[in-house]
Order: sequence, then structure tokens, then C-alpha cells
Amino acid sequence: MTTQPETFGKHRWGMTIDVDRCTGCQACVIACQAENNVPLNTEQQYERGRAIAWIRVERYWEGEFPNVKARFIPILCQHCENAPCEPVCPVYATYHNAEGLNVQVYNRCVGTKYCANGCPYIVRFFNWWEPVWPETLRNQLNPDVTVRSRGIMEKCSFCQQRIRRGVRQAARESRELRDGDIQTACQQACPTEAIVFGDIANPETRVSKMRKDDRAYRMLESLNTDPAIVYLAAVDPDKAATGEAAHG
Amino acid sequence: MEYMKERNRTASLRFKIIFPFIALGGLVVTAAMAAITVFILTAWMGQPIPVFGFEQTFDQPIAFPHTRHAGTGMMKSVDGTQELQALGLDCTFCHRTVTTQLNAGVPAVQQCMFCHQAIGPQSSPELQKLRAAAGLDGAVKTPVDWRRIHRLPDHVRFVHEAHIRYLTANPEAINNVPEQNKAAVQSAVQSNGQVMPSMVCSTCHGDVASMDKVKQVEPLKMGQCVNCHRDNNAPTDCAVCHH
Repeated sequence: MTTQPETFGKHRWGMTIDVDRCTGCQACVIACQAENNVPLNTEQQYERGRAIAWIRVERYWEGEFPNVKARFIPILCQHCENAPCEPVCPVYATYHNAEGLNVQVYNRCVGTKYCANGCPYIVRFFNWWEPVWPETLRNQLNPDVTVRSRGIMEKCSFCQQRIRRGVRQAARESRELRDGDIQTACQQACPTEAIVFGDIANPETRVSKMRKDDRAYRMLESLNTDPAIVYLAAVDPDKAATGEAAHG
Repeated sequence: MEYMKERNRTASLRFKIIFPFIALGGLVVTAAMAAITVFILTAWMGQPIPVFGFEQTFDQPIAFPHTRHAGTGMMKSVDGTQELQALGLDCTFCHRTVTTQLNAGVPAVQQCMFCHQAIGPQSSPELQKLRAAAGLDGAVKTPVDWRRIHRLPDHVRFVHEAHIRYLTANPEAINNVPEQNKAAVQSAVQSNGQVMPSMVCSTCHGDVASMDKVKQVEPLKMGQCVNCHRDNNAPTDCAVCHH
């Protein structure tokens, strides 16, 4: 009997975010922060523009008072196929792996910040300080995720630790990975199931089917970054009659 | 003219006095630099040599003899009066989580007490420490503060479970096979079969059953990981281990 080592490179990870379902509750932001050991952001850090949030919910206002509508859109690392952050790294700390992830290798990073300058989505964050947690939160750190120290870049990893865990679990039970085995922290926390994560190499997965939706679009598509995240546009009931989809 | 001669003489006299100090200082600096270089090189490459404070083993708070528990040969009893057979326990009997989880796990004191409540002489000082830790003899229950011997470099996530699973099914990839396991591993390789989980530990940990004090025998640096991953067609992508 031969057991193969863990499969690698067979899957391509992708995500679909249904903007129509997003209520802007910020549960994904908190879940991500807890899962990935993202340091706590203070008011002062926000003022200085140094806050770290691997996923953020942007809010837009539409219309004039009193007919205003709030629009929400969660933004995280798009894991672009043509990522502008990758070729600029002088130490190959960020690269594209065979599973379609834009990987950030913390122990290679020397903190040049070129990648963050190149990113059009502003989802890369530099650690300007050593991260500090209050004493009460010391034991909540996720042991599967590195705590990034001062001077290195960090960003959404598509919950790499959960991907590895899911793949390992499947290998242990000698079966193929099932759709929905791997959930990212933001997906798990989303109360409206707006975020769907999965293997886009397999056309049968939920995420692959959602990508073929009529409302599908990619963020800043004109830049040709070819993101792995597909957004489904919000449907405005007022405009739906005229067949126009509201973006964002 | 007289003045110039005078000045030259004083200068050379000063130099004569200072020179031995400069020479000595230079030697000291050179020696210090050499020591630092050796320190960095040994720390950086392979297994550090013990001379520079890199002892590969420690004294544990309770001197637990792996030889007595995991070994299979004959050995003297604690009081030295009889010749006894070592227990030959399976590694997974105590390190229970190794086949299911990331960490091999150090057994709880309670697990030692499964046996040592009844077995072992009362007079043994090491067993008295264990009884005290278990809360017997009127002591307060305290976990034993075992010292960690095998430490991987920073920033790497090692999963025991996956490695045990692969190596048990592919015994030809096992290294450092100790004498007592050779027959079992050989027959498994020939019959294309599986081995016990405890047969594969030696690949990274060496023959623990023969160590009175466990020490690290393999460098356990990234080069070793990557070489083995390449040989066995395992993923070598950075993100698999570094995240």
C-alpha cells in the first residue's frame, strides 16, 4: 500500500462575494482578526492610517437625503493571477503558488513595502510596530498562524492554515476533498452567507457555479489583475425594473 | 634641528610603550572575532556543536529513563539487585496524540500513574517526585515542568500526524532505523506493507529507546525538511509549512 503525501497543486482556491447579501455587519472583519492574529487597531492607528485589517467592509452612500441607500462591499486580498505586488518583491517573499494563492512568506519579508505601493486594492499592511495584545487576550491567539513582528508586510492568506487542515483531514480519511470542507474565517462568520470559498478548478463546486452568475464582476477589472475573487453585483429593486444592476 | 630630534625620540619612546598593548589588543580582538564566527556558523549550519553551549539535551525535572520504558533489552533494576527486561512500550502508548494531531504530546502525570500507582519501588527518589506531582503522599497536584528537547526553527508549522501517516505506509522512507526495528521495517518494505507508527519516529528523533537522557540527533533545519520532501514527492511550497 502506498499513501501519497498531501495533495498540492490540484486545487485552485477562489472566492465569491455576493454584494447583494452583504449587510455590512462587520462579522467577517472580527472573525478574520481573531483567526489570523491580526493586532487590535486603536483609534490613533486609524487616524494615522496604520490600521491593519485583512478584510474590511467599505461603505458607500447612494442618493440624496432622504432617499439615501447604504452600500457595503467587503474588500480583502484579491489573490490576483497578475498580481502587481509579486514582481516588485526583491526577496520573493510574495509569490503565486500552484494553488492560485498569493502567498506572503513572513520570514522572507524584509519590509521594503514595494508590494503595498503596487496594490490597487490597498489590502497589504505593514507592521509599523511590534503587535501588542492586552493580557486578557494572550491566550486567544491562534497557534496555527504566525504572529507577525515589526517590519514585515501582511495580508489575507485565504486562511491557509484552514486549507492545510482541510486537505490533511481529507488525506487522513483517504477521500477526495469535498466542496465546503474548507471554510475561511470570514465565510464561517458571515450571517447571510455572502462569502463562498472553494475550489475553482472543479466546475461542480458552489463557488464555481456562482462565478458564472450574470451579476458577476471583478474588482477594478480594467487593471487586468485577474483576481481570484468574484463579486456578484447588488440588485437594486428600484432599478431592477429597468434591468440595470447597481455595482458596489 | 635639536628640537626635531627631541620630538622624534619622544614619539618613538611612546610607540615603544604602546606597541605591546596594541599587539595584545589585536590578538584579543582576533580571538573574539573568531569565536563569534564559529558561534554563528555552528548555530546557522547543521547541528550545533555542544562546546559552545548548545547541549543537545537537558536534565529533566524527573529523570525519566526512555531506556527502561521503551527499550527492549535486559537491564539492572533500580536497586541494582536483579536483571530485568525493559518494558518495550510503544511510543504511541504515552505520546498519544502523535497519530492524530500536530503535537506528539507529553503525557499527563495521571498517565504515568496508571502504572506507577502500583509499580516501582517507593524508595526511588525519581518516583517520589512523580508521586508528589500526582498529589499522592499529601502533596499538591502540580504538572511536571518538562523541558523541551526538540525545537524546530521559528516560523514553521510541523504536523506529526501527516508525517506518521505517510511514513507508516511508505516504510522505505524511514531513516535511522534502530537495530531492534530493522527486521520489521525490512519485511514491511519487501511486502509493500505498513509498519507500526512507533517505527517511524527514528527518522527525526533517532533511537530514543536507547537514550537515558533524550537528545536531539538530527539538525531539524529547513534543509533537512526540504531534502526529505523532495525525495518523497511531498509539497515544497513555502505556504505549506510557513503561514
